[in-house]
Amino acid sequence: MIIILPWAVEAQGKLVTSQKSVIIPAGSYTPFFITKSDKPLKIASFKMDETAVTNVEFLEFVKANAQWRKSKINRLFADSNYLKNWEGDLDIGAANKNIYNSPVVYVSWFAAKAYSEWKNKQLPTVAQWELAANGRPKNIKYKTLTDYILGWYEKPNPPILPNVKSTYQNEYGLYDMHGLIWEWTFNFNSFIGSTDTRGNTQVDANNFCAGGAVNVKNKADYASFMRYSYRGSLKGNYCIGNLGFRCVQNLTSHD
Amino acid sequence: MIKRLLLFLITALALISCSEDSNKSAFIGDSRAANTAPVGTLPAESLYSISDSFQTQDNTVITLDHFRGKPTVVGMIFTHCTYACPRLTADIQNIEDSLQNENGKINFLLVSFDHERDNPAQLKKFADSLKLDKNWTLLHGSEASVRTLSILLNVQYEKDGEGNFSHSNIISVLDKEGKLAYQKEGLNANQSATIASIKNMLK
Repeated sequence: MIIILPWAVEAQGKLVTSQKSVIIPAGSYTPFFITKSDKPLKIASFKMDETAVTNVEFLEFVKANAQWRKSKINRLFADSNYLKNWEGDLDIGAANKNIYNSPVVYVSWFAAKAYSEWKNKQLPTVAQWELAANGRPKNIKYKTLTDYILGWYEKPNPPILPNVKSTYQNEYGLYDMHGLIWEWTFNFNSFIGSTDTRGNTQVDANNFCAGGAVNVKNKADYASFMRYSYRGSLKGNYCIGNLGFRCVQNLTSHD
Repeated sequence: MIKRLLLFLITALALISCSEDSNKSAFIGDSRAANTAPVGTLPAESLYSISDSFQTQDNTVITLDHFRGKPTVVGMIFTHCTYACPRLTADIQNIEDSLQNENGKINFLLVSFDHERDNPAQLKKFADSLKLDKNWTLLHGSEASVRTLSILLNVQYEKDGEGNFSHSNIISVLDKEGKLAYQKEGLNANQSATIASIKNMLK
């Protein structure tokens, strides 16, 4: 005889659909690569979703926006790996129950941006993301945040991506800023050279290539270096198995 | 993850070592196919399928499909730029000069990174100061629209703490249907292949 416990069913079928967000206080951010002016960027206070967007949440988006379904997607906006771990257009897959509440991955920048806009939100800028991700972890033991991050970077990707909230929460209340996935940022294609190359005699002035490689803020910060290299290697239509996103809401308008 | 890390390291090393190769260029797709595309339906790869609207230097609101029907040469700049952008613009003007026989058959397009300062009036002033003719359009767009276009054109840019922009210098050629057909990176580069790609579209 099989007894189905109501609370177990509920736990299994529980779909987190409304995203809780937290306020990140205003701060400043010095880009990892030093620019000519080298003035830290001032960042206004903003709201950030406490977790990355999950598969079930993304399913709601593709249900409402047919052009973002696997079979309809324009290759300009997502490569052939788009949602490749899903069974079908509107089907994450019965065998994939354990990732329903895991971050959606294999999504492009264009898809992440479209989702954000559909939610009346935005993608975080690099500066916003880095400021938020630098928050002190609350519930884990670690020597330094950098050690924790590098420990994660060393590990192979798990065969089944864990659910959101499975790593640590930081001082702002954000979950999994490091340790679960990499995340898209609005301006991932940021320039990593120096502004006006006339003053930089060592480097070819005629294009950006490697312009700033020797001008990093802190050569010991390998974790930042990895993130900047990762972002620099992306194109907007790339869909990758460890790359997802979360949204922010700017409290003051940019435009 | 380890494999991927290695990949990043290799990418990073490649970035560091490629400064000598300053004039990278690449053919992207086959531009000839565009001539046979039916009017009305844009090919899937067309950049003109993005719905973002922009303002021209004459304060007209347009979407990118406005440029459909002619090859379009695109550069991304900001008008307060003192060094790279005037040179990139001059490079595009040289391309125009080399194609005097095709006058009126090609669009020249400059899109500004600087959505705060480069309003249509400022773009008009910039166009007049460089004597850019009627074949040129300068565009102002929202932060998100300009970012989207930069990602489609593989142009990297970043605003610094003083409101200026560091950016890569790339001249792109879109075919008549808005597909990215050719790109040339670097300032004062040899543009003969760029010019050849445009001529090929006008055959």
